[in-house]
Amino acid sequence: MKASKAVTADRPSQHGFLYRLNQNKVLLIMCVPAILFFLFFSYAPMPGAYVAFTNFNYNGGIFGSPFVGWRNFEFLFTSGQLTLLLRNTVLYNLVFIILGNIIQMFIAILLNEVACKKFVKVTQSLMFLPYFISAVLVGLLVYNMINYDYGFLSNLVRSMGGDMPKLYSDPNTFPAVIIIAKLWQSTGYGTVVYFAAICGIDASMMEAAKVDGANGFQRIRYITLPCLKGTVIILFLFAIGGIVKGDFGLFYNLVGTNSVLYSTTDIIETYVYRCMMNTFNFSQGSAVGLFQSVFGFVLVMVANGVVKKLDSDYSLF
Amino acid sequence: MKKRIVPLLLASALLISTAACSGNTGDSSTNDSTNSGNSSTGGSATEIDTSEHVTISYLTLGDIPTNETERALAAVNEILTKEVNAEMSLRWIEWADYTAQYNLALASQNGDLDLVVTASDWLDGWPNVQKNAFLPLSEEMLKTYAPKTWEQVDEAGHWKDGMYEGQIYLIPEDAYAQWINHGFMYRSDWAKEAGFEDGIHSWDDMQVYLQYLKDNKPDIIPWDVAGSTGMTAEVAKGWQDSHTDDITIDGFGIQLFWGESKDDPYHLSRFFIEGDGLLEFATEMKEWADAGYWRADVLNYTGDTASILKEGGTGAHEHITQSWYTDLRPNMDKNFPGSDLDFFYFGEETQNLVKLVTTHGAMAVAAQSQNPERALMVYDQLRFNQEVYDLMAYGFEGEQYTLDEETGMLSWTEGYDNAVNGVTFNFWGGRNDDMERKVDFYAWEPYEEKVAEYEKVAIEYPYGTFIPDKDSLPQLENLANVYNTYMPQIAFGKMAGTPEECVEQFRNELKQAGYEEALAEVERQLQETYQS
Repeated sequence: MKASKAVTADRPSQHGFLYRLNQNKVLLIMCVPAILFFLFFSYAPMPGAYVAFTNFNYNGGIFGSPFVGWRNFEFLFTSGQLTLLLRNTVLYNLVFIILGNIIQMFIAILLNEVACKKFVKVTQSLMFLPYFISAVLVGLLVYNMINYDYGFLSNLVRSMGGDMPKLYSDPNTFPAVIIIAKLWQSTGYGTVVYFAAICGIDASMMEAAKVDGANGFQRIRYITLPCLKGTVIILFLFAIGGIVKGDFGLFYNLVGTNSVLYSTTDIIETYVYRCMMNTFNFSQGSAVGLFQSVFGFVLVMVANGVVKKLDSDYSLF
Repeated sequence: MKKRIVPLLLASALLISTAACSGNTGDSSTNDSTNSGNSSTGGSATEIDTSEHVTISYLTLGDIPTNETERALAAVNEILTKEVNAEMSLRWIEWADYTAQYNLALASQNGDLDLVVTASDWLDGWPNVQKNAFLPLSEEMLKTYAPKTWEQVDEAGHWKDGMYEGQIYLIPEDAYAQWINHGFMYRSDWAKEAGFEDGIHSWDDMQVYLQYLKDNKPDIIPWDVAGSTGMTAEVAKGWQDSHTDDITIDGFGIQLFWGESKDDPYHLSRFFIEGDGLLEFATEMKEWADAGYWRADVLNYTGDTASILKEGGTGAHEHITQSWYTDLRPNMDKNFPGSDLDFFYFGEETQNLVKLVTTHGAMAVAAQSQNPERALMVYDQLRFNQEVYDLMAYGFEGEQYTLDEETGMLSWTEGYDNAVNGVTFNFWGGRNDDMERKVDFYAWEPYEEKVAEYEKVAIEYPYGTFIPDKDSLPQLENLANVYNTYMPQIAFGKMAGTPEECVEQFRNELKQAGYEEALAEVERQLQETYQS
């Protein structure tokens, strides 16, 4: 996206479509796999969202099942839970996005300042690993760390004379557990993105700053951070589209069916799962998915509009 | 350029989908007609053409076996080829997330399924019938292609149990006696120490027993239990069975709908919103939790507690009669001679025990099956051919088991371990007592004693032919959520406030989610089914 902007920016815009197509053919060819991917896996299935408006049966299939209007959406709105669910889902995602990005950036900058290349490589790999651990294992790991009776941390605390709080019974502190687990999983991955962005910063700027006598902190403050602005905004815009979509795997595996914690840990996905696991209704499941997607779509449009107003260079489109 | 393409694509995609929505508003009723056109009934009953060799796929639940199943299947197929010129291929729905996987397999069938193990209570048998996942089986078809099955079920008068809107969809596993009623297993040796000379017979006894374990056996957890949703439901149901005359109605996924009593089954109990029963339950379970009979984090614990019992790590276990006499009791006798693991069944206190619904196990033919006739012929073999039955249930004689000529008892051979060298077909859709062997490993004596006791009090399940119309119950999803939010807290005493507060909140939310309306609707449907 950025690249195509750079190439087309200085072209006079009065040229025809075909001319520009020809000019950018290499870039376009490079984009083809991605375009095809999204076409087949994101756009082609879209009409299937119609299932959210039907009373699905196997004979009729998606388009032959009876149309029922908004009925599949009703349970979500009549439950009285929607505000709580939206609040939880959005707040968690905000924390993940904000805290996550800050920590990722911070670590990327730290790594960039480390001179020993080997150390950087090893650290990066180690930090990346949790990203590949399935949520089921994360859930088990956390349980075995913090469960009150036999958990590793509980035993540690007890052996030092303290008393471990009953985390699984306390809806007020459990969000911290979820946030820590999430950050532990995602930081390494995000760090790589920022690290790559930092590596892409024009070295001559750094050298010039050095020559001008800027110390390490000043270089970070006045060169690295401003240069990361674009990356931050793009990542933010990408993330915001999914702000009403929760990480079901993580939440379900950490909280499970422990309803004591629901008031602060229940997100749309876990709620829907709980409602649906008894009835297995495709249509209602799709209805929720559609609701989330439309909500996310609106949010992305709004956020992008705002960004465009403020500084059009950083908007997605 | 890309700037313009993306929104364009988005817009057009949205347009297409909205157009699709509006285009179909009109034909809401056209697809309600049944799919009976699909059922080729086979014409004349006299001649059956089996000249073409076909493969019948058989779907059941279970983890893909790594034992001797493949070999047994080959042997089964040899017989099937000889008898009906067909062979069977197995399709497994593994236990992880099985309900969803099972329903998905049925939803996405394209002729790849033939015989499907199903159930009206623990699998979504009826919802799948309603969604046209199964083929309606005509009387003629059954008589022609599965004559023995037809006769057996007909004689017992059970075909009506598998009917929906006048058509047979499920072949009930009605000739197989099993008791899968829930209850507490406990160690008789420890119960005697605690002062129970002739066993535990109430929840209060159970509490005394668990307290004794807590006080005197510091190395064990009195009742090590994993507080899953399923366990919550069983404990809650067990308590209600044991303290009221209410009879639970299956098919809703949640245990919120109960008949008043065996004498008045078609009026619904108001246990969940009126009376002190629920509060008593909550209070007692809070006592159990506070006393430390189970882990503090019971709701997040997922351990294999049956194994822990077998290793001596706990003194109680909640499960069913069947697993008690076939697995836990005999294994405990082996591991801890004299432990005499006994079973306190739920409902004992109020003599409130209901027999198993005949469609707890059932077989259906997939709607898209290419060879429904041959599938039925294979099914008849599975249910009535002793050779096939033995292979599928026990394996090869001389390898997995030996038979005692005189007593007819079956003994597993030395070193038999089902997971390693046994066979696993999980044929839960047509087991047949006429074909069953008596396995000498099982604890028959205590079992028969227990069953004699059951037979005295148990009643037939009164709602065998009741198929709830969930379309008229839009409250179910939210009720499920409320139930699954509060019941775990109540059943394992983990409520945030006092039991009173928790019960009150639970009741308020039930009402808010439309419980009253749902009760009225279920009652209406019940009476429509049974009083017409």
